[in-house]
Amino acid sequence: MKRKIIAAALGATALVTGPALAEYPERPIQMVIPYGTGGATDLSARALSNPLGEIVPEPIVLSNRTGAGGATGSVSVRDADGDGYTLLFARVGSHSVNPAMKATLPYTIDEFRYVGVYEINPVVCAVAEDSDIESMDDLIARVNEAPGTVLFSSSGVGSLLHLAGAMVLDAFGVENPLEDAIHLPMDGGGAAATAVLQGTATFICTNSSALASFVQNEQLNPIMVTTPEPLEGFDAPTARELGHPELEQLVGWTGIAGPADLTDEAASAWEGWLAEAVQDEGFLDFMDQAGSQVDLMSPEESVEFINGQYETFRELVVELDMEVE
Amino acid sequence: MSFFEALAAGFGLVAQWESLFFLALGIAVGVFAGAIPGMSATMAVALTLPFTFALDPIFGILLLLGVYKGGIFGGSIPAILIRTPGTPASSATALDGYPMAEQGKAGKALGMALYASCIADFVSNIALIVFAGWLAQFAMNFGPPEFFTLIVFSLTIIAGVSGDSLTKGIVSAVIGLLLATVGLDLIFGTNRFTFGNANLMGGLNFIAVLIGLFALPEIFAHVRLPRERDGKVRGLGHVGVAFDELKRCFKSIFRGSLIGVFMGSIPGIGAAPSAFLSYSEARRTSPNQANFGKGEIEGVAAAEAGNNGVAGATLIPLLSLGIPGDVITAIIIGAFMVHDLQPGPMLFQTHADIIYALFIGLIVSSVLLFFIGSVAIRGFRYVADIPPNLLFPSVLVLCIFGVYAVNNSAFDVGVMFAMGLLGYAMVLLRFPPAPFLIAFILGPLLENNFRQSLLMSQGAPEIFTRGPITWTFWALTLLALAFIIRTTVSNARLKRRLREESRRHGEGQDEATG
Repeated sequence: MKRKIIAAALGATALVTGPALAEYPERPIQMVIPYGTGGATDLSARALSNPLGEIVPEPIVLSNRTGAGGATGSVSVRDADGDGYTLLFARVGSHSVNPAMKATLPYTIDEFRYVGVYEINPVVCAVAEDSDIESMDDLIARVNEAPGTVLFSSSGVGSLLHLAGAMVLDAFGVENPLEDAIHLPMDGGGAAATAVLQGTATFICTNSSALASFVQNEQLNPIMVTTPEPLEGFDAPTARELGHPELEQLVGWTGIAGPADLTDEAASAWEGWLAEAVQDEGFLDFMDQAGSQVDLMSPEESVEFINGQYETFRELVVELDMEVE
Repeated sequence: MSFFEALAAGFGLVAQWESLFFLALGIAVGVFAGAIPGMSATMAVALTLPFTFALDPIFGILLLLGVYKGGIFGGSIPAILIRTPGTPASSATALDGYPMAEQGKAGKALGMALYASCIADFVSNIALIVFAGWLAQFAMNFGPPEFFTLIVFSLTIIAGVSGDSLTKGIVSAVIGLLLATVGLDLIFGTNRFTFGNANLMGGLNFIAVLIGLFALPEIFAHVRLPRERDGKVRGLGHVGVAFDELKRCFKSIFRGSLIGVFMGSIPGIGAAPSAFLSYSEARRTSPNQANFGKGEIEGVAAAEAGNNGVAGATLIPLLSLGIPGDVITAIIIGAFMVHDLQPGPMLFQTHADIIYALFIGLIVSSVLLFFIGSVAIRGFRYVADIPPNLLFPSVLVLCIFGVYAVNNSAFDVGVMFAMGLLGYAMVLLRFPPAPFLIAFILGPLLENNFRQSLLMSQGAPEIFTRGPITWTFWALTLLALAFIIRTTVSNARLKRRLREESRRHGEGQDEATG
């Protein structure tokens, strides 16, 4: 029933024309979103599925399989057939932060075949508007002067926010980032931003999209962005301007992946469809509103990008002893 | 733009046939979706979202709000008719609604649910319009320690839904707390009771637990003792609510609405605790206390009022601060952003016409909900007339498909059946399921806020008594505990006296005959 509804919702545009040829795809394609409805991954996936529905000759069926920071949905795709009828919306949390941090994670990033990373979300660090901290320097000085008084909120252990807070403090020379500053895991990204807004936590580093409205409403004050160029709408210096270009690795992303044994036929078909879908005006508008940069990487670039980010994160996790057993 | 100009502009936006059409359409879709077990209001809103991209902002947002409001009321229909709450919040409605349906009063229960929903919805909308700024500022004072004390207080609801034995209620709650620990630990991210199974890492699915616990035991009971059940005629449930019944429940409806407004304005609490709190308060103060849980119409009214009172109030943090209070409002924020509207304090200045149009639309939605709901009830109440040997197999099919659809996971269906067996065992041993559910919902909140507070204070327990809000909730908790102890003791006394009297009576008879 739900499938039918979704198929009707998305497939209303996906006119199934032409005879069913004996080549991929012959039947509807299931795409797993490993996070809940309404989240960043979900919105991004649903926005992309609008143009995809017109391009892909068979209906696309989106299904949310939530749980365990994306692990439940990821495992379900890893264990699926590589025939191209089950694919995953892979995300920074499920496919680079979690694998770098969690020893008990039931999958590795090598168990997937990546079709393409299609969006990048810059990371912004921000404090409450009424905070007396006004820059990264203020923040670092506070952490060093009064260890244990600065808290940063995240959407849970193993989230990008968790790692970002630690990585930023580490880059700016705080010796024991996770002892001098306290990590406060909240239940989801919305709760994490609220915690800073109402004063429970001191700062937050997260995707610009999650903070855009708070910054525009002058409730939060951005103190750093991780893009190479200044970010529109965020009046804050870039990490490079502050002398830490290495923090440019710290970005969120969404991509499409299949099981490791995904057929070449399916992978190359998707490469083409994705390239066409990311040109769609409606999709580009939506991503722009959400503060994301649409930037389609080829499968090779995607693998290189994901592995590079994983290595950076892994190094930090080992250095700061952040591994979760 | 002055207040009146904005108001007039808002009227201009709403007073188009499209506005009313999309609002009505949304409500109808919501009521229908809510009435399908496993198809929650959240899902309905998420599936509607892509359709709003192409619409004018005000039409799109009214459509989503309609789905939201309709979905919350719709959840009460299966809760009453087949004891299958579509959402956790409507499980409080099932406590008295289903017994009423069994007594042949399904029409009455559904009617009261609709009246209570519409009134609470209306109160909640008024509260949003009048008190939004003030309540939002108040809600911003809620950090983890305040949440913790609020949840401790909410746990005293368990006494109100335990039925005859408080001990059994507490045992049931403890099992709920225990099962809620399955999954990833929030603070350290470690696995708890997952036995290496990736499906268990996400914890037990809420809807699967809910449906397993409430709906399946009915079906099992029917399968096991079909003849006994067949003999019981459920009768036609076509009697409406009498005016004096509505009058009698009015106090509970109003109180439930206020509880809903309060709970809804605090981000992250949700409708289920509100519905249960409203229910247990109504039971505590009602002259018909003994009839609660056995088909008391006031119980249905209180639960639905607490449930729907949240609907308007969750928009308070959304519109005034840009904070989504729950998953549904998070999706609605998405709809705002698509149209380049950033919810938050600035929206009142930059797009005051949209805000006032929304306010007017919300008020209209309470009225539309009443009419659309009436039509829906007229259609759905025939479910009560279906003979059990047709009804129960269909319910079973609906349950399986509904639970599967939430996460597209066969594992969840297994969880549902396991919970069904547990629920049936609890029915046979006369353990009430409601405390289990409340503990299952509140348990993780209790634990997480407790540990977050201690992280904030680096282990110092004084943080739990910081500020007036925590003190207020501690005081309320003590009051509630004192009340529970008093009632338990006096009930025990009453029982003893009754027992003694009957014994004396028996002795007297013996003497007379002997």
